[in-house]
Amino acid sequence: MTNPFNPSDGQEIGARLNPAVAGAATTVRDRDEPRETRPSIPERRRRGFGYWFRDTGWRHLIGVVMLVFAAFPLAYVLSASLNPTGTLVGSNTLFRTIDFGNYVELFQLPQQPYAAWFVNTMVIGLTTSLGTVFLGALAAYAFSRMRFTGRRVGLLTLLLVQMFPQLLGVVAIFLLLSGIGEIFPQIGIGTQAGLILVYLGGALGVNTYLMYGFFNTIPVSIDEAAKIDGASHARIFFTIILRLVAPILAVVGLLSFIGTTSEFVIASIVLTSPETQTLAVGLYQFVSQETSTNWTLFSAGAVLAAIPVMALFLYLQKYIIGGLTAGSVK
Amino acid sequence: MPASRLAASSGSSMRSWAIKIVLLGLVDALAVFAMFVLFMQESWIVFGVTLAVTIVINWIYLRPGGLPAKYLAPGLLFLAVFQIFVVVYSGYIAFTNYGDGRNGTKADAIENIQLTSLSRVADSPTYRLQVLEQNGSYSFLVTDPDGDVLVGNPDQPLTEVTNAEIDGTGKAISLDGYTTLSFADLLNNQRAITSLSVPFSDDPADGALRTPDGSNAYVYESALEYDEASDTFTDATGLVYRDGGEGAYVNDDGRELIPGWTINVGFDNFVTAFSNDDIRGPLISVTIWTFAFAILSVATTFILGLFLAIVFNKPGMKGKKVYRLIMILPYAFPAFLSGLVWLGLFNQDFGFINQVIFGGAAIPWLTDPWLAKASVLIVNLWLGFPYMFLICTGALQSIPEELTEAATVDGARPWAVFRLIKFPLLLVSVAPLLISSFAFNFNNFNIIYMLTGGGPRDINAGVDAGATDILITLVYKVAFGEGTGRDYGLASAFAILIFIIVATVSIISFRQTKALEELN
Amino acid sequence: MKVTRSLLATGAMAASAALLLGACAGEAETADPTTAPETPAASSTLTVWVDADRAGVLEDIAAQFEADRGVAVELVTKDFGAIRDDFITQAPTGNGPDVIVGAHDWLGKLVQNGVVAPLELGDTAGDFQDVAITAMSYEGQTYGLPYSVENIAMVRNTDLVAEAPATFDELIAAGQAAGTEYAFLVGLDPAASDPYHLYPLQASFGAPVFEITADGTYDPTTLALGNEGGEQFATKLAEWGSQGILNTNISGDIAREEFIAGKSPFFLTGPWNIPAIQEGGINYAIDPIPTAGGETASPFVGVQGFFVSSRSENTIAATEFLVNYIGSEEVQTALYEVGGRAPALLSAFEAAQADADVAAFGAVGAEGVPMPNVPAMDVVWSDWGSSQVAIINGQGDPVELWRAMVASIQEKVTAG
Repeated sequence: MTNPFNPSDGQEIGARLNPAVAGAATTVRDRDEPRETRPSIPERRRRGFGYWFRDTGWRHLIGVVMLVFAAFPLAYVLSASLNPTGTLVGSNTLFRTIDFGNYVELFQLPQQPYAAWFVNTMVIGLTTSLGTVFLGALAAYAFSRMRFTGRRVGLLTLLLVQMFPQLLGVVAIFLLLSGIGEIFPQIGIGTQAGLILVYLGGALGVNTYLMYGFFNTIPVSIDEAAKIDGASHARIFFTIILRLVAPILAVVGLLSFIGTTSEFVIASIVLTSPETQTLAVGLYQFVSQETSTNWTLFSAGAVLAAIPVMALFLYLQKYIIGGLTAGSVK
Repeated sequence: MPASRLAASSGSSMRSWAIKIVLLGLVDALAVFAMFVLFMQESWIVFGVTLAVTIVINWIYLRPGGLPAKYLAPGLLFLAVFQIFVVVYSGYIAFTNYGDGRNGTKADAIENIQLTSLSRVADSPTYRLQVLEQNGSYSFLVTDPDGDVLVGNPDQPLTEVTNAEIDGTGKAISLDGYTTLSFADLLNNQRAITSLSVPFSDDPADGALRTPDGSNAYVYESALEYDEASDTFTDATGLVYRDGGEGAYVNDDGRELIPGWTINVGFDNFVTAFSNDDIRGPLISVTIWTFAFAILSVATTFILGLFLAIVFNKPGMKGKKVYRLIMILPYAFPAFLSGLVWLGLFNQDFGFINQVIFGGAAIPWLTDPWLAKASVLIVNLWLGFPYMFLICTGALQSIPEELTEAATVDGARPWAVFRLIKFPLLLVSVAPLLISSFAFNFNNFNIIYMLTGGGPRDINAGVDAGATDILITLVYKVAFGEGTGRDYGLASAFAILIFIIVATVSIISFRQTKALEELN
Repeated sequence: MKVTRSLLATGAMAASAALLLGACAGEAETADPTTAPETPAASSTLTVWVDADRAGVLEDIAAQFEADRGVAVELVTKDFGAIRDDFITQAPTGNGPDVIVGAHDWLGKLVQNGVVAPLELGDTAGDFQDVAITAMSYEGQTYGLPYSVENIAMVRNTDLVAEAPATFDELIAAGQAAGTEYAFLVGLDPAASDPYHLYPLQASFGAPVFEITADGTYDPTTLALGNEGGEQFATKLAEWGSQGILNTNISGDIAREEFIAGKSPFFLTGPWNIPAIQEGGINYAIDPIPTAGGETASPFVGVQGFFVSSRSENTIAATEFLVNYIGSEEVQTALYEVGGRAPALLSAFEAAQADADVAAFGAVGAEGVPMPNVPAMDVVWSDWGSSQVAIINGQGDPVELWRAMVASIQEKVTAG
């Protein structure tokens, strides 16, 4: 039997590390800050404002500037959502009125079941991002740890496929899903399962690359130590490697979630009844009629729709930021 | 190997083996079901493919070894079905004339021409209708406006009958020897009934009755007659329309009947793509701007994203969670909504940027060629930096602290540590993503269309290309903007050509990245 | 041990393998729809694509139809703007809907693609407004059941200007005399102007888009834009642009806000903005559009309605549903009440005249012409708008720009 584990290029970087395997795996999840770098407040006081500013303060300055740059255009959306009669961009007077009527109305429209859209978006977004992380991690593990014919070409192809201009994507997806639906109606046109499967078609590609780069930084010595202990490759992958690469899994999961929840074109083709639609598809109907656009209601819907993304980010932040650093410096 | 470890290992082996067999069995069961359906539908080719794929899957997972395939197969299957299919389909369409007016089969086109050429004779009366059945064939029982009742079928012209049963409104509803069809019966045979044509007499010139709804019949006349033997349509004035070999029936004056149908056109679309004046004229300037736009978009978003990732990667900094959270917001809102807001902000007379920031200046952000380019880049930076920020924040985690610590101990300045140690390491892992981001922006149709529509357009230039048009928006205008409407065949040919450009640039960049990787 | 290695991947396998199999199967299936088994009668379902506003009204009537006729109606809520193109791509596959809601100016495209079937309205055709039936016709054949008719008119702030002006010059004079920030408002786009809103002014110079043939329909091969009236209109556009009467930076949203803020006595708009104007507390009147060039300033009339797919296997049910259910006064009135668009059915339209605004817009619309529904309109809109922008903003000689536009449109229309 040939040994597919072949430590070679790309792993020297990681090999310079010498982390305690078990320690890394268990501490990663519990902490979001490296322990030894926690600031010592008395020390900061001693050194005075000048030092503090050079060390940390300027970062706040940049933070505030970026806060304005990032959030300012969205203030228009928030302002519109609080104004029952306003428009999106008609005026430079923000927050003239504060009225939560739009938010109440969102949940009272029989034809536009906002609550259902919200739940659908969560289900589809979370399922897709979990699936994407899983499929992507499997592939990245193979590319990082095993050596096989067509490996480099395969990696490149994954990226190139996604560069194809998708002018006809919608037509092709429709044909495909309606064909599948003839045999398995549960995953045909009109089903959320079908939509999730289409999204999973994009699981490999950029995500695989992102994970691949990260997998390469995990020293092969960890795998080998575990193998000597008699663990199967599946066991190594699930119980050891996946924990070590938690930061990148969180990043990919978040990117996939955001991408899925804001995807409109394919979702609007696949999901046909209002009860199954997602926020992106449903909300668009508020403003797609040139003559009866409802920007204020739409804005309220978009503001609420951004909350899950923020919540997920807050939740995942400890994995993204904690990560390997915490384990490696033990 | 410790005994306990071995025991646990073999126990879990048994369990995993069982799970594997169950899952594989499930797949096989679904495959058998699909093959059964295909068998019944006599779709032999697909049946064969399904069988082959099922065998391959079983082989991959049951044979010893071949580990990479076992890990790659699930993702690759999804990729093959949903991504490769789109590419293959586009490739196929590039060799056809598929597009507006050419989107079906020839049989559909013939049927449709016949359907639309039939029309009710103007001001002709309405005959109230009851459809009857006798020995499996349909007949019309009609009540004419004078209350006379006639019966007939496509082979037997209408004749008057007197023994029909009449309902309260004076409409004949049944006749001895015939079965009266209910509405449900009509629904079950809709095509057959709407295609019935019951003549008034043996002379076709007297006209015939047809029904669009099963309860009223009208005298219909056809403006075009189809002759199957010669495959031609002839209109009332005797003009003949022939299959001109280009997916439509044309007469000698070149007038086409609509709709046409999809045919294979070989390399015609590629020839058009290369010879089209609307493309060739502005090609050089548009290509330069496309590259500039893609490269600058990647550069600006990456630099800002990386900078912010480093700034907020400061342990112990207060409030960085809030900063991070706000900074991903541009990514969390629907992009077209943000685009509309930016459109408003950039409005020359009313926008916030001119009114408030520039104190009422009339800066033509979106209508001056150079400012429009800058505006597009600014908005794309706003939309794109959170992505780069997230990626870089994640990638920074993979750089071991020991390296920087060691360097710092050796007396290196922070900037030197970053430039010489962190940045090269970071680049190795994010370079592929930068290339991919380049490819994405190269074809970033939405941002251009949303903000400027490719404009401002030089109205005197005679071509549609505007100052912010990139290749994909130009292609869109050419392939979808002519009088004939959307030409998917041409669009696909362009898509393939653009793909070749992007792929070539990407592969070359990859070579560079490899060199970089080997340096480390 | 060897066998167990591959355990993990197998999980994800199940779904994807099944999928691939299904997918391959699917391709062949769509390629050869004739082999599909006959659908049994009991499951006869009419699939209807509607936009969200229409869906609510149709739910009741769909239930009624099912109870009466035993045919279930599946309402699929679609984004209105996507219906036309999705229908054109999906109908030829045989998996499209039976009925769609749409605007009459889509008709040319739908016929060109062979996706829409003629609809015989029978004796009910006379029950609809003539303009609605004309709009739903293409090359002598009627294709759709109309439900609404709408057009723009001149909305006047009666507190600022008491009398309706007779000509556009008088309107501008009255607007300037009112001393407000703008003499007149119309929503335009900085890149595409808005030929639809400016059309009545153009028409008053005697320059329609296409020549009108003997049978009252448009002849899409002969442009009328380029006549002398068109060039006079272009000159006027430039003049209005330089005087600031037309400003391409005033979008529809901005125009509405400014009008509601009382910054202009006149607003050229449609019924869709009336609710906002009412809420804004403006006292308004709806006037005919004053002529700028001497002839009647006839607006484009837009008609919405329902179309039957040419690939529908349920034509009898679809025809029955449209003609006898959606064509009923009850449904037409209900559709009017939810959307605010004047009904196409005469009896419902007359009942709606009780609303003074509907009556006023209707009176203006009586002078209007249906928006052309020929496929070439897509090309016309694009060139027409961008040339208007250039003319209004003084980027060249107006007549020359106008001529270049006519030549460009003519070239593309001929190529088509």
